[in-house]
Amino acid sequence: MTRRTVGTGDCRLGSRPGEVIDRSRTLEFRWNGAVHRAHPGDTIASALAAAGVRVFSRSYKYHRPRGLLTADILDPGCLLQVGDEPNVRGAHRLAEAGMDVRSQNTWPSLRYDVKAVNQVAGRFLATGFYYKTFIKPERLWPAYERVLRRFVHAGEVPPDGEQLYYDKRYAHPDVLVAGGGPAGMAAAVAAARAGATVMLVEQEHQLGGHLRWGDADDLRVRAELVAAVEAEPGIEVLTDSVVAARYDDNWLAVVQRGLPHVAERLVKARAGTLVVAAGLIERPYVFAGNDLPGVMLSTAVRRLLNLYSVRPGQRAVVVTANPEGDAAATDLRAAGVDVVEVDARHGRTVVRAAGRGGVEAVELSDGSRLDADLLVTATGWTAPTSLLNMSGSNPVYRPDAARFVPDPAATPDTVIAVGGIAGDGTLEELVAHAEAAGREAAARALSLAAAHARIRPTSPGGADAAERAPEPVAPLGLRRHPELFFATPIGGFVDMSEDVSAKDILTAVQEGYDSSELVKRYTTATMGPAQGKLETVNTVALVAHATGSTIAETGATTWRPMYTPVTLGALAGRRFEPVRHSPMQPWHEAHRAAPLVAGQWIRPEHYGDPAAEVRNVRAGVGIIDVTPIGKLDLQGPDVPKLLNLLYVNKWSQLGVGRVRYGVMCADDGVVLDDGVTGRLGEHHYLMSTTSSGAGTVWEWAENWLQTEHPDWRVHITPVTTAFASINVAGPRSRELLARLTDVDLANEAFGYMNVRTGTIAGVADCVLWRIGFTGELSYELHVPASYGLHVWESLMAAGADLGVAPFGVEAQRILRLEKGHLIVGQDTDGLTKAYSAGLAWAVKLDKPDFVGKPELQWQSEHDDHPRLVGLQPLDPTVVPEEASQIISDGGHIVGRITSSRMSPTLGRSICLGQVDAHLADAGTRLTVRLRDGRDTLVEVMAEHAHFDPEGERQRV
Amino acid sequence: MSEPAAAVSTAPPVARTALAFPGPRRIVDGWELTARHATGDLVLADLGPLVKLTVRGPAEGAVRAALGTGFGRTARHDEGALAGALVVGAGPGEWLVLGPAGTGGELLAATRAVVADSGEFASVVDVTHGRALVRLTGAAAPALLAKVCAIDLADRVVPDGSAFRSSVARVVTDVVRDDIRDELDDPAGDGTARTRSYLLHCERSSGQYLADALVDAGTEYGIEVGAPPSAR
Repeated sequence: MTRRTVGTGDCRLGSRPGEVIDRSRTLEFRWNGAVHRAHPGDTIASALAAAGVRVFSRSYKYHRPRGLLTADILDPGCLLQVGDEPNVRGAHRLAEAGMDVRSQNTWPSLRYDVKAVNQVAGRFLATGFYYKTFIKPERLWPAYERVLRRFVHAGEVPPDGEQLYYDKRYAHPDVLVAGGGPAGMAAAVAAARAGATVMLVEQEHQLGGHLRWGDADDLRVRAELVAAVEAEPGIEVLTDSVVAARYDDNWLAVVQRGLPHVAERLVKARAGTLVVAAGLIERPYVFAGNDLPGVMLSTAVRRLLNLYSVRPGQRAVVVTANPEGDAAATDLRAAGVDVVEVDARHGRTVVRAAGRGGVEAVELSDGSRLDADLLVTATGWTAPTSLLNMSGSNPVYRPDAARFVPDPAATPDTVIAVGGIAGDGTLEELVAHAEAAGREAAARALSLAAAHARIRPTSPGGADAAERAPEPVAPLGLRRHPELFFATPIGGFVDMSEDVSAKDILTAVQEGYDSSELVKRYTTATMGPAQGKLETVNTVALVAHATGSTIAETGATTWRPMYTPVTLGALAGRRFEPVRHSPMQPWHEAHRAAPLVAGQWIRPEHYGDPAAEVRNVRAGVGIIDVTPIGKLDLQGPDVPKLLNLLYVNKWSQLGVGRVRYGVMCADDGVVLDDGVTGRLGEHHYLMSTTSSGAGTVWEWAENWLQTEHPDWRVHITPVTTAFASINVAGPRSRELLARLTDVDLANEAFGYMNVRTGTIAGVADCVLWRIGFTGELSYELHVPASYGLHVWESLMAAGADLGVAPFGVEAQRILRLEKGHLIVGQDTDGLTKAYSAGLAWAVKLDKPDFVGKPELQWQSEHDDHPRLVGLQPLDPTVVPEEASQIISDGGHIVGRITSSRMSPTLGRSICLGQVDAHLADAGTRLTVRLRDGRDTLVEVMAEHAHFDPEGERQRV
Repeated sequence: MSEPAAAVSTAPPVARTALAFPGPRRIVDGWELTARHATGDLVLADLGPLVKLTVRGPAEGAVRAALGTGFGRTARHDEGALAGALVVGAGPGEWLVLGPAGTGGELLAATRAVVADSGEFASVVDVTHGRALVRLTGAAAPALLAKVCAIDLADRVVPDGSAFRSSVARVVTDVVRDDIRDELDDPAGDGTARTRSYLLHCERSSGQYLADALVDAGTEYGIEVGAPPSAR
């Protein structure tokens, strides 16, 4: 790579009063490989312009050279790649030491871009080119996509790029002011002085708006207003930030940049009153050659001259229709530029800019031709009304002012417009209007806050401000301005981001797309990075011209969020993904448990060899962390009523100290959850649920209590993680547990399906259930969670001579499948009713009522529902994948495998599956289609359980 | 069948809170806690050992009167049956009673007595071990919380002594504003100086995640994790 150092800038002028650069320091960055210098405060574009760079990019379709047009964040010719970051606004982003800046999507270089042949082929890239060309044949779409990607006008995001920190915060200002120009600052100060908290958001790097590049009086007023803002502690100023969207009730999305160590921060602000002080955006003029480097807006010229002390050209033609254009001519002359002024207020204007790679000559409407390297236009303003449109107020076109203006009557009380967007006037008039609006904005916000305070539970009592009705703010007037949108004969570009020419608009109308909304979508005009802020009004004017209607009749397109393009990182913000851990997690990690993500829970899947874990449980004793099992503390005299309602089986006779398995179904009879519930005291129960169903069952139970039975005296408290839960399973589990507990574990004292409370390993208030998901003698211990790790470690230590070992979720799944226990959601799905799941034994239709009873009554009387059955492959080495289809001879699907594993205990493959009713008889042989396309035969078993169907092992 | 319970001596029970921060730890009254001391202006302290009881009952009535507060507000009991307890109105008809570590038995009994005396249908559940509890103290605390919680924390909305339940970093959390009296820096000298302080209370298994999210959000404010600045 060639590295050459370019001078500090031949186009840099002497020091100027309003400049924002720090001349005492310089920094270096690279532009397309070459080293450039900038002063702190320079944008990338101003530093390059100071060095005489005129061409910054190649255009989207035709790859025409493009230079600076607006010299601000909207500049369509200045989207750059900075390091890993694409589409950086080069005329806004500040130059930093070491930046690697490149032009985007040019090959082999910005100067010699081969895709510029598109200019020659331009007639083939006309309106609707993509729609018309890349349609058929369909089989060529992959090829089309590759071609189109080559021509996409955007930077590149390297997949292995740096992971930046995108932040998010909430804010609740009484008043949010969008725009930090004179009106925005005045409104913010007035609102703060009226007692409101204010967030003042400015897109540029400094407050001040157009005053920054104004004359000495402008700079003085700016300094006074900035000082007033800084003196108000109630104002939070966000620069390099933008209000990107406004939603209902002033829910505002603010994207903040320029923070240390944070790429961007999305501020989700809820404001009492929104003050829109977005100013006015200078509108480009449409004429042949209007995209040549060297064609600039008057505001761009004044920014370059007065903020960055950069001379934008040597010989300038200034086409001006307003005082701001006149001021640009004055500024240029003061900087030593030869200036010819063309007063567009009297019909004389530009019709063509000529040159190769940049402006060389300007042709005027009177036929004259002037040599120039800079053409400045000041032909009108566009009010960026997006935030008002998003508030439901559509702007109204005013031909006398040649711009759309907000309609105050349609604007909600919580939104007020100030400054140039609202109207015209002297600086004093604009500031006075903004101050009145700021005071009113504060009064409305504080009134709203008082209304909220009256009903808020956290209020200690008494409203802190009086509520009042909104009062109108006296409106601003409008300054007359000639309507100047495009020159005739019509030529040039209306949308430089999207390379849409003025003639494309006319073509679209001729083809029948005769409304601005249709033209927008057909031509993509206004759909580029500037989002119509430079292009919409000119587009509408051209559509009006082509359809023979007025601009007011044609109307603008709809402004929707976002106001400005927003990065995906800003929208994503911080990634908040809660994870849940049991108290034994440190032990699992120390013993290299393979983590299993189960919803939010991180659980041990196994500790290296799940088959060995299964064998250890069958032969000796194992312990598993089952903390995620849902647990609900139920208290009150009406708990049995609730249990009888939610479960399909009976609960009235459950004695204290007893545990019962229960199944819950939804209203449609579909199995919702299962688990055991134990009775700890007269009016005290502990319900367990599946691990994944804990939240659902709690809400389900509360829903029935609060909506159907508010009279029942039941309190439900979720206590899932109040207990660490450990299942001690295996023929030697009693022997192990007996070493640590004062509870009598003898079978006659503590039989199967009973509950006891007691001390384990010195920890009081433990709950022990004797139940058996694994099919072995087992005890489920629920230990006060803070002692979970202590009890786990005590079990491991006390059982060392018994060969105690931990087992994970995978071993538990194998054990329960050997035993034929179903898992709700695995062996059942959203259509599986209780009878299909083989739970007929649990359903008690003689109960007066329970949730799902009518559906289950119906199902019990019909025999055509699928059945959950035990299945064993004839080839014991084949394990059909879960969800494999079971098919009949005719190729019809008649069921599926719901669970399958190789059984270490039986040395063969085992399954559960759902099959159609007529195929559910024991001994039936069925075909299973495996994932690789082969078929295998399975046989329906008499029971779900493949091992110990009588349950002898768990009742010892 | 009854097997003789072999006397296996185990280590004395050690209780662990939901939070485990890197670095040294120490045992205090049977609880294992971080031994780090926080001296900065923004401190996250683990109050896991505090006794935590939930009370359910009618939103208005004798239970509410005895507990001294309702939904959205807190009450600190300096005397009476619940002396030393902070009662938080966590929801309509739902209270959280917090007490000093190690007072579980007495506070549970006292609270149950209060409930029983009310004659209303009410219940008490000890959730000391089922919840995580941290205290976030420092002037920057509301700025930190604004990064993880959508609720307006202005004095006007959430004054000292108020409480709400909302999403904090997507975890359901009780947020309790309980400012700490600032004895060292009290310019008026009348005991009115306060340092912003919030209790954050959530279900136990999400506690470590929540603390990690708070530390992440608080890095720019210089957050420190350690022993609480106040023993309350």
